[in-house]
Amino acid sequence: MKHDVKAFWMLMLIIATLWIGGCEAPNFIKAAQFEETDRIVLTFAGPVDPAWAEDPSHFTVNEKPDPDILLDIASVRLSPDRSRLTLTLVDPINQDQPHQVVAKEIVSEGRNLGTQSVTVSKPYFGYLVSILIGALLIQNFVFSKYLGLCVFFGTSQKKSTAVGMGITFTFVIVFASLMSWFLYQFVLKPYRLDYLQIIVFIGLVSLTVQAVDTVLRKINPALFKAFGVYLVLVIANCIVIAVPLILADNEYNMIESLMLALGAGLGFLLALFLMSSVRERLDFANVPTSYRGLPIAFIVAGLFALSFMGFSGMSIF
Amino acid sequence: MAATTKTNMQLVVNGLLNENPIFRLALSMCPAVGISTTVANGLLLGVAVLFVQVFSSCTIALIKDHIHPRIRIPTYTLTIATWVTVIDLVLAAYLPVAYKAMGIFVRLIVAFAIITMRLEVFACRNTVAASFWDGVGMGFGFMFGMATLGAVREVMGMGTLLGYDVLGFRPMLFFVLPAAGFFLVGFMMAMFNYVETLYNRRAKRGS
Amino acid sequence: MKEIIRITIALTLSCLLAGLVIGTTFIFTAKAKQHNEHLNVQQTMLGLLGYGPQRPAAPELQLHQVHRYIVKHNETMRMGYMLPARCSGGGPGYVWVELDLKGDFLDRHELALTPEAALSADDRKKALAGILDPGAEADFADTMIIACLGDRRTAYLLPGEFPGFKTFIKAMVALDADFQLLGLEVIEHEEDPGLGGEITQDYFKNQFVGKTFEKLKHLTVIKEPLPADYEHYLKSMGLRNSGLSESETADIRQRYKDQDIHALTGATISSAAVTNGVKAMVKKFAYRIQVLDQALADGDVKVLF
Repeated sequence: MKHDVKAFWMLMLIIATLWIGGCEAPNFIKAAQFEETDRIVLTFAGPVDPAWAEDPSHFTVNEKPDPDILLDIASVRLSPDRSRLTLTLVDPINQDQPHQVVAKEIVSEGRNLGTQSVTVSKPYFGYLVSILIGALLIQNFVFSKYLGLCVFFGTSQKKSTAVGMGITFTFVIVFASLMSWFLYQFVLKPYRLDYLQIIVFIGLVSLTVQAVDTVLRKINPALFKAFGVYLVLVIANCIVIAVPLILADNEYNMIESLMLALGAGLGFLLALFLMSSVRERLDFANVPTSYRGLPIAFIVAGLFALSFMGFSGMSIF
Repeated sequence: MAATTKTNMQLVVNGLLNENPIFRLALSMCPAVGISTTVANGLLLGVAVLFVQVFSSCTIALIKDHIHPRIRIPTYTLTIATWVTVIDLVLAAYLPVAYKAMGIFVRLIVAFAIITMRLEVFACRNTVAASFWDGVGMGFGFMFGMATLGAVREVMGMGTLLGYDVLGFRPMLFFVLPAAGFFLVGFMMAMFNYVETLYNRRAKRGS
Repeated sequence: MKEIIRITIALTLSCLLAGLVIGTTFIFTAKAKQHNEHLNVQQTMLGLLGYGPQRPAAPELQLHQVHRYIVKHNETMRMGYMLPARCSGGGPGYVWVELDLKGDFLDRHELALTPEAALSADDRKKALAGILDPGAEADFADTMIIACLGDRRTAYLLPGEFPGFKTFIKAMVALDADFQLLGLEVIEHEEDPGLGGEITQDYFKNQFVGKTFEKLKHLTVIKEPLPADYEHYLKSMGLRNSGLSESETADIRQRYKDQDIHALTGATISSAAVTNGVKAMVKKFAYRIQVLDQALADGDVKVLF
């Protein structure tokens, strides 16, 4: 019993410490975000002094990589509840770059809180989603980057095969590209062995396929029966080797790499599904003899590629 | 298939026409659609594939007796990856501009089905000399396919051929667009099919 | 068991062999790659300055490279410039100058760096390590090139990159001493062929030529089609037999001088990306070079440009 009381007070103490620590958080600026094309909105933890806030000389804004070039501020406006402040700049903001905002000598309720700075950037989550959607639709690996076509045409005759292939492929590509990302970032790049990337990546892909094969056979024979046949085909798919190469060329971090790999896999699945739906119906169509089989499939793929061009230029975040 | 009885010339022609990797075997379609916007790009990638195919075929034909059957495929992959890396490094060093235009496709030769398939079907059963000529045939067949597609797309899309202005205007910008590659490959395949049926019909009538 | 050992040995052997082949190729090509890349950049720069096969570069032309760094020390940030300058011994060498963020001169050091070594990022890093305060960190930001004929500045060359429609576009911009645009060269891009890929075409790039700094500050993209005479003029720019008489050329140049950039058909986003990218590059550079010149005068640094 005594033990419990002690533990309870300990817990209270911890919570209190955290609470006080939270209250006296060094940053009075709670949030900062871009708005429209030329505005930055700062949200303060409490009301600020209007006289202080309305003076543009208390604020500086610069693009993070260019600390020496301050951007011109056109006007500053405080919201009626005195906790939201809108900085309007003279020129439109390049929102792809993170910006740094410095508020000098913040005055709140008569108290001087000192100079504080905050970084404004586009929401990171949105960036991740845009990578995913980019690989899935806008830059679909099959219809806009023309990769993985052999397997694409080979396995898109029936919907069931297509879905099986797509799912297997998504699994393998996520594993393989994460592994190759690690290997590239921590071994190949630091030791300047990046000219070995082709041989290393193809080795890793084969290894992943072999591992998935072995594990699946042991753990879930039913699933292996369903998907085992596609595993061999995965190696012959250019996308599976293209994604690690693209990751190596661009400086993506781990989560971004995961998103790209996932987008590539799901994009392939989507392409296969669309294509197989059409090809199942094509079987009943009266296609000229010379066009039967692959030629007509290519023309259908061309139509898909045309319609996928409609996604280009789309930006959600 | 037993060791081939074809002459060297027949092997080359076989790769160019009967078993053209792009239009007949329908392998390595990715570059055929992706990189064939100009003749120069098509030809250069063709050279790279020719190099990789010939060297890989010869290597495998040379060491075929020493390959353990269980590691056949890994050995093929290793061989191809090695030669792809070599041509990749060489192109990047000596033709940087053209290399950049082809982007990721040079490195992707490693995943082109045509090369593995020729090693499996031909090189591991034949002599070095026959494999060499088969590799040359396949490489030229690929180059021929790429150059044809490239020529049509460049002339129709940009009005130029190998960078020189031949038409003076742009007939259909559509042809340089990504989607047109699919259409064109489809049409070409259908054409090859059509010619084949005509040829067969005539042969039948002749006999 | 015997099988496994045999397989392992065979695989190891083939891997070693493959490594040998690749390694040898790498050794043979690495130098050539560096050399060719350098040559390419050099050619691009000369091309932008108006030199080419028909007009060889003047022998007294000198391209001085100035490297900019951001120095972080504790919480403060400074700008560091690595400049070719006359050393205390009188000979040409490299000098490290630090400015604070407002642009005031702080400090200078002489660097043991030859102009050839200054081209390589590693050598620059080594030279810097010797003179920086312990705990300070210098991050490379960019390089600008100042072209001089004799002791007169003729042009500035700015390499840079900005986001395009698909991935990054690498470009180089040439300015004259009054920050008027001399030319634009797209070095690397991955835009769609036939659409955004047209940014490499003369009729797009040459639209930037001759824009004054004042115009450039507010340059935008318009969606009107390119007038036929203007297009002909842009395409024939720099060619000997353009088919236009001198008065016609001057007339067209005058008429379209203050025109905004005509977007490429079907690639407005790419066109706008290039326009905004160039605009941002030039604006930042113009600000920095003025600050730098002032600071160099204050600090009495005898630079070579």
